[in-house]
Amino acid sequence: MIRRRPATAGRLGATLLLTALPLAASHAADRERDPYASTYRPRPTEELLITNATILTGTGERIERGAVHLRDGRIVAVGAGVDAPGARVLDAEGKWLTPGIIDVHSHLGDYPSPEIDATADGNEMTSPNTAEVWAEHSVWPQDPQFPLALAGGVTTLQILPGSANLFGGRGVTVKNVPARTVQAMKFPGAPHSLKMACGENPKRVYGSRDRAPSTRMGNVAGYRAAWAKAQAYREKRRAAAEADGEDGKKEPPERDLAMETLVGVLDGEILVHNHCYRAEEMAVMLDVAREFGYRITAFHHAVEAYKVADLLAEQGVCAAMWADWWGFKLEAFDGIEENVALVDRAGACAIVHSDSARGIQRLNQEAAKSMAAARRAGIPVTEEHAIRWITGNAARALGIDDETGTIEPGKAADLVLWNGNPFSVYARPQQVYIDGYKYYDRSDPARQPVTDFDLEQTARGVR
Amino acid sequence: MRRGAGIAIGRSLLRGVVAGLAALAAPVAVSAAGIAVVGGTVHTLEGEAPLQDATVLVRDGRIAAVGAGLDVPAGYERVDARGKVVTPGLIAAHTQLGLVEISGEASTVDARVAIAAVDDLKEAYRLGPAFDVQYGINPQSTLLPVNRAGGITRAIVAPVPGNDPFSGWGAAIRLTDDDVLLRPRLALYGSIGAGSADFTGGSRAALIQRLRMGLAAAREFRPSRYEPEEGEYTRRELTALKEFLDSDRPLVLAVNRASEIEQSLALARDFGLRLVILGGAEAWRAADALAADRVPVIVDVLDNLPLSFDQLGARMDNAALLHEAGVPVVFTTEDSHNARLIRQVAGNAVAEGMPWPAALAAITRRPAEVFGLQPGTGTLAVGAPADLVIWTGDPLELTTWAERVMIDGQWMPMETRQSELLERYRDLDAPYGYR
Repeated sequence: MIRRRPATAGRLGATLLLTALPLAASHAADRERDPYASTYRPRPTEELLITNATILTGTGERIERGAVHLRDGRIVAVGAGVDAPGARVLDAEGKWLTPGIIDVHSHLGDYPSPEIDATADGNEMTSPNTAEVWAEHSVWPQDPQFPLALAGGVTTLQILPGSANLFGGRGVTVKNVPARTVQAMKFPGAPHSLKMACGENPKRVYGSRDRAPSTRMGNVAGYRAAWAKAQAYREKRRAAAEADGEDGKKEPPERDLAMETLVGVLDGEILVHNHCYRAEEMAVMLDVAREFGYRITAFHHAVEAYKVADLLAEQGVCAAMWADWWGFKLEAFDGIEENVALVDRAGACAIVHSDSARGIQRLNQEAAKSMAAARRAGIPVTEEHAIRWITGNAARALGIDDETGTIEPGKAADLVLWNGNPFSVYARPQQVYIDGYKYYDRSDPARQPVTDFDLEQTARGVR
Repeated sequence: MRRGAGIAIGRSLLRGVVAGLAALAAPVAVSAAGIAVVGGTVHTLEGEAPLQDATVLVRDGRIAAVGAGLDVPAGYERVDARGKVVTPGLIAAHTQLGLVEISGEASTVDARVAIAAVDDLKEAYRLGPAFDVQYGINPQSTLLPVNRAGGITRAIVAPVPGNDPFSGWGAAIRLTDDDVLLRPRLALYGSIGAGSADFTGGSRAALIQRLRMGLAAAREFRPSRYEPEEGEYTRRELTALKEFLDSDRPLVLAVNRASEIEQSLALARDFGLRLVILGGAEAWRAADALAADRVPVIVDVLDNLPLSFDQLGARMDNAALLHEAGVPVVFTTEDSHNARLIRQVAGNAVAEGMPWPAALAAITRRPAEVFGLQPGTGTLAVGAPADLVIWTGDPLELTTWAERVMIDGQWMPMETRQSELLERYRDLDAPYGYR
């Protein structure tokens, strides 16, 4: 006998909770609709007025001796003459304020430290199409790399599956907060993403096993075959839904988790983040997207983006890049320090990313190097512009730009207070705020998160 | 010469001011009696305070004079460095420059004898400590100009651990276009740790015993009387170890865990070795012992992750703590393609508490001393080899760059494969394919 769940208990429970704890109830409701929904809750904050800071807003503006008013985790006002009677005042004389740093390409939690086989959970290298796997299901919240990224000012990051496969799986956008579960880190409402990969990695991984793909044309055939299948799957699902209740009732297709991800892309709900180094491969991937009617949100690593910067600008595709990595494999041989500058100058959405547990701690320095390379090449770039590469533009690529990435009224109070110009090698985040809560303070060990793994380690809290 | 000055100047006419400046920095047939770099803020690395508005005179490949208010002798090429910073050329203390072109492409990597390959080789072909990188160095590597344009003038080229706890001999090079090899067999390399224990069956204890047995056998080594048992060091390996023991050259051991740093110090004491620690993630825990034995540590400051169980104590202020304890500190980067980033490493060391002059020394004077390069290398002392860089500002900052680079008294071309790519793609509307 199949035991039926008491029909009323769940709903009744939800109603009771709704009275007592509205937030928890809305979580419960979310999780009823979406079993994997975020359980993140902003922490209670005090009303705060940060004054006298040099503010880079992330929208391209710079405000000298500016103030930002924070209340209930949101930015109420920003400007030179902002006042907030009753708010606690933090005098930021000599300090700089930027939006929280956002890394669009990370593997923290999926490839944690220590890097050993037992912790390597970032690449499901068993099939060229693993669109069914979700990076969030590998995330180890106790990865000691999370607090280090926080100390570097990173408030939001996208954790992606690796690049061994044509379709690596779904990525997840998280807030960089100490948590016991990944659900408590997930950025509420952030769209899911699909990690795709071009080039050497998939063809090497599968070619070496004597199976497809073993060439770049094999890669492309693999994408196209999967998208064609996804279109058919979507059609079957749609036909079944339309016929529901009618006489000619059609059976919906058997659930296919990989196809669900791809259909999510075709429906515009899941954003494509495409690992792709070479110029001509980016152009081919744009053709594939055109054939099947989906959009590519960003090319990642995009070492040769400067060669097709005009195309990226025209198609409205972001390029996420390193400042200066090159030569570690053939498809990275043409990396140049001016890549970000040239993409930015062409009017495309330029992003500086890390793909590195080292680099994520210093994205401000990576942006600084790209800014310097621009200036050396005679392309003028200001700090207030360059900060967008690691804040506003990154938020746009993650589909969370109405929530974070800039210092504007109504946005989440995700902020970094730097002890100097963040484009200086000598600068460090002094305080880091997420939804208005001070998660990190360089001068206060009580505000420096320590993971379970780092307990009793000699470098605990001082890395 | 690979990059001709004439071609560069021809192109610069088309490409505006910036490219033009780069071309002017290309080598010119020097007819001048010498070179005077005038008006810069000069860090000679002899004292801590820089010389303001100073002049550096270069003659016959060496520093002839340095000071404020020097007269420029007649016939000297005069280079204006007002508002600029002048330092010695930077020295990359641990690289595979010339041994690697594309890291992921095995056919372009000559830095190690791979374990897998050796399994199939007869014991007789093992090289172990006899492996010598000098024979694999490619002066035409694109990595040399790229790093030179970033201010690197000399580098130590080291083997990567391959099939033995001793990985072989490293060499010193200069980043010129030819005649790059300065000194082969400059230092012997080895490693102790999680990865290298695989050479001896997985135990660090066995690994350290193997190192000790090798050195002990080399001390007693008489080639004509030596008949190695299977698995013991071969004649050629012991010849290399004996050459090392009979010299004053350093043994550079890649070690991270504090307990193995202590073991390395004991090994050095027992065999009377000059030891250098490479990596040293937990060196700060052994700082006093390292200082007492004057053992230098080559550090990548940015290695603050507990990436392995040997590095659980990794922290970013490692270098600052070591320096404070009196340990000689030298900086390195994680990869050779971007050896130019040692100045970012140095800048971060300052941000984490190391004094600025010590951080600059860790990428100039200190590595020259540790590896016993030609006297004066890494400084602008009178008589030193004339390696210098003119920077747009503080060389440890990220927003500055090298404007001109001199090696042994010659201005080096600033063109690289990367600068050529930039010029090719600077204007996407220009006719494509023939530039």
